[in-house]
Amino acid sequence: MGLWKVVKSVLAAFLGVQKEGRRREDFESGKPANFIIVGVIMTLMLVVLVAAVATLAAR
Amino acid sequence: MASHLLPKPTPQHSTATAGGMAEAGHARPRGLLRWLTTTNHKEIGTLYLLFSLTMFFIGGIFALVVRAELFQPGLQLVQPEFFNQMTTMHGLIMVFGAIMPAFVGLANWMVPLQIGAPDMALPRLNNFSFWLLPIGFTLLLSTLLMPGGGPNFGWTFYAPLSTIYAPPSTTFFILSIHIAGISSILGAINIIATILNLRAPGMRLMDMPLFVWTWLITAFLLIAVMPVLAGVVTMMLMDINFGTSFFNAAGGGDPVLFQHLFWFFGHPEVYIMILPAFGIVSAIIPTFARKRLFGYPSMVYATAAIALLSFLVWAHHMFLVGLPLVAEIFFMYTTMLIAVPTGVKIFNWIATLYRGSITFDPPMLFALAFVVQFTIGGFSGLMLAIAPADFQYHDTYFVVAHFHYVLVPGALFAILAGAYYWLPKWTGHYPNVKLSQWHFWLSVVGVNLTFFPMHFSGLAGMPRRIPDYALQFADFNMVSTLGSFMFGFSQLVFVLVVIKCVRGGEKAPAKAWEGAEDLEWSVPSPAPLHTFETPPTFKHQSH
Amino acid sequence: MRTSFVWVVGLIIALVAPLAMANPWNMPRGVTDVSGEIFSLHMIIFWICVAIVVVVFGVMFYALFRFRRSKGAEAANFHENTTVEVLWTVIPMLILIAMAVPATATLKQMYDVSDAELDVMITGQQWRWRYEYLGEDVAFTSNLSTPRTQISGEEAKGENYLLEVDEPLVLPVNRKVRFLLTSDDVIHSWWVPDLAVKQDAIPGFVNENWVRINEPGIYRGQCAELCGIDHGFMPIVVEAMEEEAFDTWMEERKAAAEQEAMGVGREWEFAELMERGESVYGSICASCHQAEGQGAPPTFPALAGNQALLDEPERHISTVIDGVSGAAMPAFRNTLNAVEIAAVITYERNAWGNETGDSMQPSEIAERIADQGE
Repeated sequence: MGLWKVVKSVLAAFLGVQKEGRRREDFESGKPANFIIVGVIMTLMLVVLVAAVATLAAR
Repeated sequence: MASHLLPKPTPQHSTATAGGMAEAGHARPRGLLRWLTTTNHKEIGTLYLLFSLTMFFIGGIFALVVRAELFQPGLQLVQPEFFNQMTTMHGLIMVFGAIMPAFVGLANWMVPLQIGAPDMALPRLNNFSFWLLPIGFTLLLSTLLMPGGGPNFGWTFYAPLSTIYAPPSTTFFILSIHIAGISSILGAINIIATILNLRAPGMRLMDMPLFVWTWLITAFLLIAVMPVLAGVVTMMLMDINFGTSFFNAAGGGDPVLFQHLFWFFGHPEVYIMILPAFGIVSAIIPTFARKRLFGYPSMVYATAAIALLSFLVWAHHMFLVGLPLVAEIFFMYTTMLIAVPTGVKIFNWIATLYRGSITFDPPMLFALAFVVQFTIGGFSGLMLAIAPADFQYHDTYFVVAHFHYVLVPGALFAILAGAYYWLPKWTGHYPNVKLSQWHFWLSVVGVNLTFFPMHFSGLAGMPRRIPDYALQFADFNMVSTLGSFMFGFSQLVFVLVVIKCVRGGEKAPAKAWEGAEDLEWSVPSPAPLHTFETPPTFKHQSH
Repeated sequence: MRTSFVWVVGLIIALVAPLAMANPWNMPRGVTDVSGEIFSLHMIIFWICVAIVVVVFGVMFYALFRFRRSKGAEAANFHENTTVEVLWTVIPMLILIAMAVPATATLKQMYDVSDAELDVMITGQQWRWRYEYLGEDVAFTSNLSTPRTQISGEEAKGENYLLEVDEPLVLPVNRKVRFLLTSDDVIHSWWVPDLAVKQDAIPGFVNENWVRINEPGIYRGQCAELCGIDHGFMPIVVEAMEEEAFDTWMEERKAAAEQEAMGVGREWEFAELMERGESVYGSICASCHQAEGQGAPPTFPALAGNQALLDEPERHISTVIDGVSGAAMPAFRNTLNAVEIAAVITYERNAWGNETGDSMQPSEIAERIADQGE
């Protein structure tokens, strides 16, 4: 499945909201490694994002 | 210990011996040796649960000593030095000796049953990780009798109070933390190996009950952070005994480094103590609402999100150590973020209740009380996340109220709910309803009388961990103490319920609760010593 | 079930109702602009929580009441609804962002320690606070003044039980005062709720905070970080004075400090040293080594009958001046002046049956410290 779909699923996980159908699709056609890699990268991106916002806010 | 309390294992219902079951088919030792050498997940689960119950009462007695001293201003019963040992030991025993082993015990009993596995993946390791605990905690408790007394620096053992200024017994404390830590790591490895390898044919990860899911994630958290704890106590050991200066400012060390390391362990630890509770409650509420769990995938994703975020919030315990402004803002934002997936869980439970067909059996009472009271703890947590306000809340009874709401009417009530839920499976009898209700209502009233006034005393300015206090806090403390004794003694009712339930009572069928769906309800009640020796075929049921 | 429900509601009302009516149950609004802002943040987030509680628990208790099986409720079969799920994710997000904005603004203000008119160094010590007005040559320690007899219950407790000290920190109103916080031993935390200042005092670190007090008065607080046996007995009292009164007070303290400095040069009588030594011992040493010098081994050794110490006066002096590295004994070089050090050593060598007859002169101690300084 495409990168964009994986990213969307991981985003849904961040929010804690996911549809049954999408979830089924993830688990049937997605590879766990893809989700883990994208999940870790997006967690790091979240850290950078919040850090950037915090730096801006601290100005 | 009280082996007469334990359910008599019923004869094996099957003669087939599954490969890898060490003791199946052998003559098993009897008496004490049986419990020392057992590799059976149910027996080890029972040992964990009994150990945790024992520790719960020991830690509870320490708490009552603390509360009795705080009943009124002045020093009446104990001296400050012993008071500090009591607060410290209460925290250590409850966190590492009561709550964590209780969840491991429930995992031991229920994870194999819920995934259709014959046993844990590594049965001998399982035995070892349990028997480390009594050793570690005997060592920890023995420090109270040593010259200079036991640990007196709080369960967070901030250096240098816990290094240069600590009693000589601290080295033993460090060793006991190491032992408990090894036990946790081995237990976590075992749980992960079991969940990933021994699921019934046809059961995919996303078919697993939430208790299994939350434990899988918790186990990864344990493996990630227990080594950090081991590292930090080893650094303390070096500072105390080998002249290093990791945390000694006079030698060029950094006392704040201790707090970073401790809380990098400590914050995920908080979730280690609450995620399995989410799993239990997510099993019970659908059962007694007779309706599928609302948003199962969301619940799984939210658990994963909470676990990841839990590594990014540790410094909210350290808002007052003089962090740079950017760091304060960063940790304030991440801490507020973690409220979102936590909120999602609560909303999901309530949506599960909505338009259900609800009954209020004892497990449900505790699960509902969990939802309400955990939410109260969550709200005070949200208030604490606001960094400027934390400058007033920090290290006061408001914080004490907050984490006790999360851990006592939170984690502990979930454990009790789980115990009531699965007692029919463990013993073959339903717990006595009248007694259970007494236990429930006494506990709810007691726990709120104890901890709710602490919000007020904290806001009014009472610091934590003080053996004596100014007169304006007297009324709140008196109420808290009365509540704590009520709560403490009402737990004896629970012991009575368990004993009665083991001895007899209304017989429970395999499917003890009408609305229960998971695999554990397909084996007889009480569950025979060996179950699922031939793997069940998992039907794709609803999740 | 109906009775249970009434119980729960009754309990919640009984527990929450007092919050609304009594102010002393809540965080003080305080006497600085920052403390007022923190108080508003606290109340805003509190009322937001109350509002969410009403909605969420309202729905929950409605569901519990309405969908009871005993009333014939049949279970529906729905288990997801993306709209609802998105809503209950997005709405909390918006509330949190709305909270984060004012919180960040207040935090930035609290971190702005620039343009202070007065610097006070606050040093935590087991178990007292030391205050030093930087650049003014005025410094003193502040000890709990509640008598032990009140703590043990032999005497009735006073109005400010455990919240009273021998020498309060005196500050001017309407001036920005910067605090520099550190510690000589373990971590302490300096907290006065009315000033909304709570900051850890950490050995080896200097933390900053600041205050501008709007109203004269006496404000009380306590150490907030567990720091050992007497953690509960190291209160803080701040006396905020009108600016003129403060300036007068400062002049008087400076004159007294000069007077004390002159005392170093003269010869002190044994009885004089013993008298001064007893008072220094009582306020500084007794918290660890105990009133009768019996100590609290193994962390705090006894002084009464301590032969190793009594046989070697040199070691006694260096222990007090330099402390003991790697142990709980701090260096008193900067905390006590030469008169006080000489007096307390004399006292310790002659009290509680330690009859060495030794007596130290402040000038000897001053010389020693001066030598070390080179």
